[in-house]
Formats: sequence, structure tokens, C-alpha cells
Amino acid sequence: MWAIIKKEFKSYFFSPVGYVFIGLFLIMFSIFFYTDVFYYQSTNFEYIFYSGATILTFIIPILTMRTLAEERKSGTEQLLLTSPVSITKIVLGKFISATLIVIITELCTFLYFGILSYFGTPHITTALVTLLGFLLLAMSYISFGLLASSITENQIIAGVITIAFFIFSWFLPNFSDVFADFSLINLFSNFPYGQIDIADTVIYITFTIMCLLLTIIVMQRRKSVR
Amino acid sequence: MIEVKNVTKKYGKAVAVEDISFTINDGEIVGLLGPNGAGKSTTMNILTGYIEQTSGEVTIEGYNTLKKPKKAKMQIGYMAEGVPLYTDLTVKEFVTYMAELKKVNRKERKEKVQKVIEQTGLKDVENKLTKNLSRGYKQRVSMAGALVGEPKILILDEPTVGLDPKQITEIRNLIKELGKTHTVILSSHILSEVSQICNKVIIINKGKIVAIDTPENLENKVSNNNCIYVTVEDTENKIDKIKDQIKEIKNIELVQENEDKTKQYLIEADKDIDLRKKIFSEFAKENITIFEMKKADTTLEDAFIKLIEGGNK
Repeated sequence: MWAIIKKEFKSYFFSPVGYVFIGLFLIMFSIFFYTDVFYYQSTNFEYIFYSGATILTFIIPILTMRTLAEERKSGTEQLLLTSPVSITKIVLGKFISATLIVIITELCTFLYFGILSYFGTPHITTALVTLLGFLLLAMSYISFGLLASSITENQIIAGVITIAFFIFSWFLPNFSDVFADFSLINLFSNFPYGQIDIADTVIYITFTIMCLLLTIIVMQRRKSVR
Repeated sequence: MIEVKNVTKKYGKAVAVEDISFTINDGEIVGLLGPNGAGKSTTMNILTGYIEQTSGEVTIEGYNTLKKPKKAKMQIGYMAEGVPLYTDLTVKEFVTYMAELKKVNRKERKEKVQKVIEQTGLKDVENKLTKNLSRGYKQRVSMAGALVGEPKILILDEPTVGLDPKQITEIRNLIKELGKTHTVILSSHILSEVSQICNKVIIINKGKIVAIDTPENLENKVSNNNCIYVTVEDTENKIDKIKDQIKEIKNIELVQENEDKTKQYLIEADKDIDLRKKIFSEFAKENITIFEMKKADTTLEDAFIKLIEGGNK
């Protein structure tokens, strides 16, 4: 699995994908940082992540859409599936490498924390809790992105399915309160207050595991119907 | 050793491969032959564990492909059809990645990667991106990927497709060389290739095995008669006498008259009789000058077409 993580991580930076993802996020994040800090005169680091979560909704597909779809289209899937590496490890490897990119992005945001701590006293624990929540959100997004990428060999379609699902889940509570906990992005709302909500965390983790399992099943199933 | 027992692969109602069984022993170079869509790639994909059979059993070096997939896959180096490569990696990176996937020991990895790069003649291009390589080199990279990790069995799906004649000879020689130390299975629809390289041929048609044998035996099987072409100078038309003198001759047929007044005949005899000696002495007695004499070979091509057509009837 280590081989796959390493190769996937590297290829994020061989192709512009990794740079585009991190770059886009930081540009958008900087704009929100600017408006929050200068316009609202706030020195709150965490609140910018509400906007950060919105950005994430639209840029996660950049990371995930090609992961499995591209392998299938170019035929390199054959190389992976005939090597002595299990499908579970292939999927996990790809998931972990995408997660690593998000972690790098999060580390970059410490720059803003640094700027804020020069002018005020932002709260480090709250910031860390926020980053944890943000990572959980990103992981559930990535796992769904992988699932979308596994069901098609066209990466554009995979990307569109991913964004469509994220937006759908985002506005789901607007239809009925019953769906309040189905909105992945709403579950994030408590983290910037420094609260690790157990229920929210569990939902994120189970959603991630569920999507990864489904991806593995899709890949496994194709072996017998392909 | 590879054992395939009653393997069937169905897609819904369509049958890709039906109830095939064969055994491949260590050190054999086996050619999988068949027209397009016969089930060659499906068979290979089942052997490599890329797809799963609907029923039946495949054992590779004693490991069942469904029960012990990892162990079975460890034994195999696979060169897939259409040479899929990671285009954003260099040759060296690609081969290294393949070595890592095949769990080649970290300490030996560098050395083993270098070894296959040299073996496949890729030393000059090892730092080039695979997408910038010509077709022939891509094929070699794919081959290097299959070779790394020292698998006992090499499975090559149409290894010479899309290459120029020089590259084809090079790849064939490489396969022959590898055949000395590996069990090789290759698929092809180029018959001359198979008869040159392989010592066993499996002919598949419409998902079924039509024949398993050595190329020579297959050729012999389909040739009912022993045919000899002779080109002679025979101004007095004495050839008609010959037929009476040599009783084994079943038929003499004039093939063509050449401009230099020589004639070419086709002489047929029963399967196991070689008439060349007799023809030579009898013709000499009759003062017929032999300009050329050759045995008409039935080629694997004939065998193939005969077997396939036989199956279709």
C-alpha cells in the first residue's frame, strides 16, 4: 500500500492537480481572510473555515475525479489489479494520498494563524479542533469522490457526480429538518466553536468508511462482470 | 506449472470462454492462438486474476487464483494488451513502481530494476517519460514491468502488435531468451510468430479449445498427403512412365510450364512415405533432369485455418 500512496502523492505534483488544488484553496481562503479580518475587523481564525468548507465542496473533485476513472480508461488498472496488492489497499492508498494533500493545505493555513497571532491572540486549541473537523469533512468528501470515480471511466462525469452530490447534501436540510444530519457541510458547524461533537464525528467517520467500502465493492464486483 | 480446469466465463448470457482445460508445465513457451474475439485475452485475464471466471478452477504454481490471489499473482509477470503505462512517470520510475507493487525487497530493488532495464535494452531511455517513447520502446517498458520481481511465469498479450519488422525480431529474440528461464504464455494471431517461438500451441476458437499440441504435430495432423514439387526438363514427356514405375505415387499433376521449357509437377504420395530418393533415381534412369525438388510444407497457417473452419461447420 505504501507504494501506491507514494506514487499517487507524487503524481499529484507531477501533474498540476496538486498545485491547482492547494493554490485554488489558498487564493479563495486569502480572499475570505482579507474580508473577515479587514472588513469585519475580526481576528478569529476559525470562522474563516466556514468559508473554507464551502471552497472544499467545489475543489475536492479536482483531487478525486481522476484517481480510479483514469486508471480504468488508460488500462493501467490492469497493472494494479494483476499485481499482488489487494483492492482494499489500492483504494485505501488512493484515499490516504488525497487526504495527505488536504493535510498539506491545512498546514499552509497556519500562515494565516501566524499573521493573526501577530495582531491578536487567536486560540490555538479552537484552531486545532477546527482543523480536525475540516479534515473529517474533507475525508468524507474524498471518500465519496473516490466512489464516484470508481463507477465511471470518464473523469469529468466523476467530477460532476461528486459536486452534484455535495450540493445536494448541502441543501438537503432546506427541504425538511429530518435531513438535518445528512448535510455533511452542516455537521462541520460546531467545530469552529472548539467543540468536538461526538455524533458529528461518528457520522463523518462512518460516512467515510461506508463510501470506501462501497468503492471496494464496486471494484471487486467489476472483476466478475467485466 | 499452470493448471486450468473447466473454466467458463460468461457475461450475462454471452459466453466468452467455455469449459476450457489445459496444463502448462515449467519451462514451456506456449502460444495462445485464435482469431479476434476467440477468448485469448479473456483466458489471459483469468490467469492473471484481472477478471474472475464464472466457474472452474485455475491453479498457478499450486496456488488457486481465487483462494490465494496474492500468492498466485506473485508468480506472474503480465504484459497487458495495448501496453498500458503511467505516462507521467519515467521508465525507471515506472519499473520501480512495478517492483514496489510486486513487493520486491527494498534492498534489492534498485539492483533488480537496473537488471531488467538492461535486459530489455532500455538503458538509454531510462530517464525519459514513458509518454515520449516510441511504440517499440513502450512495449519494452511494459515487458520490463512484467519482468521485474523475477516472476516464474510470463504472460504476454499480443507482445508484437504494432511493431515494425525489426522491432518484432528484437522482441521475439527477447522472448526466446526469456523462455530459457521462464514459463512463457503469449497470445498472437500471427502464426509464423507462434511456430517460431513456441513449443506448444493452444488454438482457441469461439471460446473453446480446438487443439493443443506442438506446432510440428499440428502441421502434420492436417496434412493428409505427402506432396513434393519437382521442376524438371522433360522434353520427351517421360513423366507419365514414372507413375507406373513408382507404385507409391498417387497422383502427378502439372503445376506450370516455365519459359525455359522446364515443367513443375506436384507429386502426391501417402502420408508416411518420403519419395524423394526414389524420384531422384528413377528420374535419372529416364534421363529426366531435375532442376529443383522440394517438399511442400503444410504450414501452421493451414493447420489453423483447417481447425478453425472445422470448428465452424
